[in-house]
Amino acid sequence: MSVLREIFDPQFLSRNSVYISLLIGFVCPLVGVYLVVRRVVFLGVALPQVSSCGIAFAFAMQGWGWIPHAHDSAGERAIALGGSIVFTLAAILLLSIMERSGRGLIEGRTGTAYVLAGAWGILLLAQNPLGEHGLLDLLRGQIIAVSDTDLVLTAITFGFVVLALFLFQKEFLFVSFDREMAITLKKRVIVWDTLLFTLIGLTISVSVLSVGPLVAFGFLLLPPLIAYQFAQTMRQFAITASVIGGVTAVAGFVIAYRRDLPVGPTDVALLGILYAFSFGGRKLFRSRTLAATGAKPQASPTNPG
Amino acid sequence: MTDDLLLSLQGVAVGYGRHVVLQNVDLGVRRGRFTGLLGANGSGKSTLLKTILGILPPMAGRIEFRGASGGQPVLGYVPQREALDSIFLVSCFEMVLMGACGRVGPGRFFNQAEKDWARHCLRETGAEELARKRFSELSGGQKQRVLVARALATKPEFLLLDEPTAGIDTTVTQSILELLRNLHARQQLSILMVSHDLRAVRRCAQDVIWLHQGKVSQGAVNELLRREQVEALLDLALE
Repeated sequence: MSVLREIFDPQFLSRNSVYISLLIGFVCPLVGVYLVVRRVVFLGVALPQVSSCGIAFAFAMQGWGWIPHAHDSAGERAIALGGSIVFTLAAILLLSIMERSGRGLIEGRTGTAYVLAGAWGILLLAQNPLGEHGLLDLLRGQIIAVSDTDLVLTAITFGFVVLALFLFQKEFLFVSFDREMAITLKKRVIVWDTLLFTLIGLTISVSVLSVGPLVAFGFLLLPPLIAYQFAQTMRQFAITASVIGGVTAVAGFVIAYRRDLPVGPTDVALLGILYAFSFGGRKLFRSRTLAATGAKPQASPTNPG
Repeated sequence: MTDDLLLSLQGVAVGYGRHVVLQNVDLGVRRGRFTGLLGANGSGKSTLLKTILGILPPMAGRIEFRGASGGQPVLGYVPQREALDSIFLVSCFEMVLMGACGRVGPGRFFNQAEKDWARHCLRETGAEELARKRFSELSGGQKQRVLVARALATKPEFLLLDEPTAGIDTTVTQSILELLRNLHARQQLSILMVSHDLRAVRRCAQDVIWLHQGKVSQGAVNELLRREQVEALLDLALE
């Protein structure tokens, strides 16, 4: 409790890092729920990697003299955010065009985007004349130095994302669940898909900039996968995932602070442990229930049914 | 297009991508009639239905609707139940409420009247007690009743069903067909039911559209599905 009081103290040096972890912990799972139910989980791995590549590209542009050099951290973050958003949204657009053309497997396309983004990110970093200083920290998501401006911008972006997800939950669920019927009711499915994936892209871009691709991916997918074990409705699913993400973000920060560990990987490791326990516990509970009732097992993200 | 036609297809070609499944399709569906769209597996029934619904664009030709208001009628669509992913945690009540999405604008929530209407539709299809159950946990017949309820929740002028009795045992098939017959009789709904089951179409439908080896035959059930006529059609195909 004393550590909790300490990290939430307004005088705590890394208080903004705590708040930003908390924001990411609460909001990433809300968009991750859609990646899970639309069975595009791998997109949650590829897009943060693409976002990182966009950040590396934005910095490389500075090195090549294509854009003015930023002289302060706020300017650097603005450039990084620009690169991240442009690359993420462009990747979503490209992948959706390829999906509509119906060529190849979605896993193949997403996997290709993942490896190419990873490779190009490293190449751009390696040849950046400005060196790797600071950039690697950004990509690793050290969550150490978060300015008030960063925090406010992240809060505004996430506020917009949560509001849109809340207001248009009916439309997002409908076009995700039964696209064909949505078309027959004259719903503009392309518009709703674009809006949903723009929100996902925005969330990923902002998260990667603060915590890096690994942690962003962890918060996008692990809390929804844990919540799915217990939820009965889509609303419960989203809220439980968000609460798990938020609580884990705080718990991870506390553990990392006490043990002097990097925050992001601690959060993901903690989520992994939670997932293992929830999955094992659920399996045990279900096997006992099924044995008692003789019912058939239901579908899950890991068991298509 | 004559006044009693609700739907008319002229020279329509349907298919996926560049693959043509049916071409030069001319047919009409009469207002207030129960029409069966009959054909073997792979004959292009579902592709034709999806083109009529606007899910697939026609590759050629014209599709015209004339609803009561003169324009396109509200369509109630009952898809094949396997098409819906069981990963979604959707209750039957939420499922039926989706039918009201066409009337409730973006950013607005379902009001009490829409919720009452959804319950009414569940009652109409004998699925009221399933309201709180998760859709993915239902049996085939129960799912079909809920899907019909959802289609009714759109307040349709034209109900279109894709293989509503496929993979369902005989007793449940009969109850689903009975439900559709009753709905047609009570509400004077125009119905187009895709099926590969000749007996089901014969039992319910008044008119039939038969797809066989790329050819389309249309007529009244008691004309087109007479034993001699069916044999003639099939023999013709064998020749």
